[in-house]
Amino acid sequence: MSTPAIALRGIQKRFGKKTAVRDLDLVVPEGSIYGLIGPNGAGKTTSIRIMLDIIGPDSGTVEVFGSGDVESQRGRIGYLPEERGLYAKMTVIEHLIFFGQLRGMKRADARAEALRGLDEVGLTDRKEDKVEALSKGMAQKIQFLATILHKPDLLVLDEPFSGLDPLNVDLFKGMVLERQRQGATLLFSTHLIEDAERLCEYVCMIAGASKVLDGRIGEVKAAAGREEIAISYEGDGGFLDSPGLVDRVADHGQYVEVRLRPGGDPQELLRLAVERGTRISRFELVEPSLREIFIEKATEAGLSPEDVSEDDVIAA
Amino acid sequence: MNPFTPKVRAVMRREFMQRVKTKWFLITTLGLPVLMVGMFVLVGLFIASSQDQEETVSVGVIDPTGRVADFLVEELLADSVLASRVAELDGATEQEVRAALGDSDYDHFFRLPEDVVDAPARDRGQARIFATNNVLPTTEADLRNGLRRALLRARLSESGLENVDAEQLLRTTPIGVVNVTDTGAGRSQDIFQAISFAIAFLFYMVLLIYGQMIIRSIIEEKASDIVEVMVSSLRPWELMLGKIIGVGAVGIAQIGVWALVLTVATVFGLGTAATSLAELGIDVTAFAIPWGTVGAVLAFLVLGYLLYAGMFAGAGATISNETDAQQVAFPVTMLIIVPFIAVQGVIGSPNAPWAVVMSIVPFFSPLVMPSRLLVTNVPLWQSALSLAMLAAFVLLAAWIAGRIYRVGVLMKGQRANLPEVIRWVRHG
Repeated sequence: MSTPAIALRGIQKRFGKKTAVRDLDLVVPEGSIYGLIGPNGAGKTTSIRIMLDIIGPDSGTVEVFGSGDVESQRGRIGYLPEERGLYAKMTVIEHLIFFGQLRGMKRADARAEALRGLDEVGLTDRKEDKVEALSKGMAQKIQFLATILHKPDLLVLDEPFSGLDPLNVDLFKGMVLERQRQGATLLFSTHLIEDAERLCEYVCMIAGASKVLDGRIGEVKAAAGREEIAISYEGDGGFLDSPGLVDRVADHGQYVEVRLRPGGDPQELLRLAVERGTRISRFELVEPSLREIFIEKATEAGLSPEDVSEDDVIAA
Repeated sequence: MNPFTPKVRAVMRREFMQRVKTKWFLITTLGLPVLMVGMFVLVGLFIASSQDQEETVSVGVIDPTGRVADFLVEELLADSVLASRVAELDGATEQEVRAALGDSDYDHFFRLPEDVVDAPARDRGQARIFATNNVLPTTEADLRNGLRRALLRARLSESGLENVDAEQLLRTTPIGVVNVTDTGAGRSQDIFQAISFAIAFLFYMVLLIYGQMIIRSIIEEKASDIVEVMVSSLRPWELMLGKIIGVGAVGIAQIGVWALVLTVATVFGLGTAATSLAELGIDVTAFAIPWGTVGAVLAFLVLGYLLYAGMFAGAGATISNETDAQQVAFPVTMLIIVPFIAVQGVIGSPNAPWAVVMSIVPFFSPLVMPSRLLVTNVPLWQSALSLAMLAAFVLLAAWIAGRIYRVGVLMKGQRANLPEVIRWVRHG
């Protein structure tokens, strides 16, 4: 296996009395799309800041592209933090050149890349405008361009799609995936598990400062083992209330996701429904969603509901 | 290792360009010299016009003794005071003189006492100027000087000496103080005290203004959420150094423009300036400051700026909004105000023990030592010790500020308290 893009081992970080990250091991394979998921306040941003050597861990080691000296790898990293700003008084082009230079580019190269990037997002005619004169959506484009201007081999995006202008989401996804296809590694954090499920090859789930599980999405799902049954019905839902057969039910409004007790037969549940005269319009065996797995694992790990923060996890 | 990495240079460039392009910079940099030149021109015009329209003052001389009046009228006419003797009032009382003034064409009566020539040791009479309006200071001076010369001539003539040039007899020579330096060159004291104070004042202003600018620049980065991208791209100390040097360069540019304007103005006005100074008995060549002193003063100013700027940066990193800025800047500001106040005493007594101590102690030395260097001969060991300690403190302050900065720039909301800041410094 090639050198991982990021390798964290035994990372601990406390802020005063509060533990932000507890004993975190994490390996991001080179060239992969890696999702760091978990509710707000779980420790995602702190983990990312430690990976990028913005803050030091209390203990544990960080390697980026096999090097323990993250500083030497700065030029290969493109980082878009959750809180992202611009210098209001600078012109668009000066801003992009400045950030290119900070990532180690020469001024002339940075200018050429900035002009190319502005053309790609359709802002060429705004290049001499001050940043403060831009709309929110345009400013977001500049922030994104500044992150990928130096063609980083590792893109780290903290909650990249939250608060975005809807038109920009697809544009940015396209631009990031383009980089990834050219060989870059993509790590992003999100509290929207569905986002990660659609995009990622690998996920790492964090809750209450601890890793809950990680791995390839397929493997995570396979390891979770049991399948779930997605059921859409009209009428009496009493058939779900059979403790001997049904382990748990998640109501999604349009349909419910049902997990049976070990050894339970889906056919038996269907028979109960038919007996009660419930109309079934969908009855499908599905893989458990990442969200289901996450909540189950977090609960198993003994985390309180606040740690899992259902609101954040479910809000899609 | 060269601390001026390409990233530091990029930050310096940004900080410099952003500030130089502002209206504030344009107004203060170009506005101040324009204001100063304008003021000089105005004052010049005023003086010129007041000379043109100078009124001739008419004075009636009343001399009961009759022994001085003729000499006095002669001397006053030489100073273009329209004087003449009013003999009919010689015997008049003060009351009558007052009454007569209103009816006469004279601006003033100048009445001498009976004992004006003899001038006994005690209980001398007083010469009085009677006036309906204010007496111009120039007129009063003319009368005083004229009387002195007239009395001299009157007394000399009574002892048998006629037709003496009293002006020539009274002429003295100007006095200048010369400090003999190690090199044997003389220095005039006053002008160096003035230069010394001017430099201290300018440096004091620069420190306060640009220190605030550094704090504001740090807060701005926090407030606009840009600081995290910054510290993910370069080390915090690189960001801090770039800021300090970039903002400092703005100050140098500004002072440079002022110096340029001053030089141009001096070159154009040099002829006049040199002549008028020579008239005052001041030799322009005596102002030459030895290059060694210039170099030492510059070294203290540069290191001093770095020391205070580093402290301002450290203070700025502990807060995230403007309202706290004054509060955290206060201790640093005090460290600048105290030596500045001291400078005024140091210039007067540059070798007093407390002045010597203050010129060596870091925090005070950047302001106090240049003042001493300019007005006195500072022993080499003192300047060397002071400079070495200042350099050490610059490094220490940079290290501490860097640690605070590293943790502080990502802190938001509440201002960090002192124990917290100490923890940052200890653990980074």
